Amino acid sequence: MQLTGCIPGHTASVSASDDLADVEKVLAGDVAAFENIVRRWQNPLVNLAYRFCRDRGRAEEMAQEAFLRAWRALGSWRRDAAFSTWLFALATNLYRSELRRIPVPPLALDEVPELRDIRAGSEEQEDRDRDRAVRNTVFSLPPKYREALTLFYFHEMDVEAAARSLGLPEGTVKARLSRGRELLRGKLPRLLTTAHSKEVR
Amino acid sequence: MNHDEIDRALSAEDGIVPSSGFAASVMEVVRREALAPPPLPFPWKRALPGLAACVCGIVAILVMLIASGALASVESSLAAQAEAAVKSQAGMIALALLTAFGSALFSVRLCRIMGRW
Repeated sequence: MQLTGCIPGHTASVSASDDLADVEKVLAGDVAAFENIVRRWQNPLVNLAYRFCRDRGRAEEMAQEAFLRAWRALGSWRRDAAFSTWLFALATNLYRSELRRIPVPPLALDEVPELRDIRAGSEEQEDRDRDRAVRNTVFSLPPKYREALTLFYFHEMDVEAAARSLGLPEGTVKARLSRGRELLRGKLPRLLTTAHSKEVR
Repeated sequence: MNHDEIDRALSAEDGIVPSSGFAASVMEVVRREALAPPPLPFPWKRALPGLAACVCGIVAILVMLIASGALASVESSLAAQAEAAVKSQAGMIALALLTAFGSALFSVRLCRIMGRW
């Protein structure tokens, strides 16, 4: 399984057999072998948590809790699915519960960072600002659409992987993605118009 | 914004690198948990003789009561009490208990459904 691109520092392909070997060692009593699992999966788990909460400290706390739960439940991993699938599903459930318990306050449209002065900035800067505004707008969506979008783009637009992490049928995930994008498109023109009209004044 | 622009914006996300001590702090917690003693199992071997003695005692008392005929008078007293209860508000009490049970069951199901979402 290849995890690249949006997950920094994780360019090497992950060997499923390494996971299996380390899990067997841990279950046999070798606690130190769990560190291999932590080091192998810390980037993706922390990044997934960051996408949910947008706070580095909280992301690391949630990822740490995810690893702890994985440690406790290691014996329950059925070998029919990849270890990564099991781990991401466990982490996703935890992150969703945590966000329900202490939600990230949704940004009001007028709090989303404005586009910089379009007369002074480069096109590249403008694109970056627009992208950041889009990502922040995702937080104003209802949780079920926000979660579907987060997992979909985290898994590099793989609907099947997102569905497995969420524990939902693919059809449901597709429907939520479609509706989520619709809602996003509905909010974005207002945001971009507001930002632009402030500049024009 | 069209579909492709949204895809581009949400895919082109810079990730974060976990702090240097992250793995170490995870392992610290894991090791602490691994070293903690396991929860104590219920001492069934010690408890079973006592439980068996209680059951035997209850059975013995019931047998004695039936043999001595004391239960007959208890039965008639219970019948009188049952009649009195029926005449009073027992119906309403039963309905209230049923409602309480139903609402508890509904709450549990609702929590399960919310947990799944």
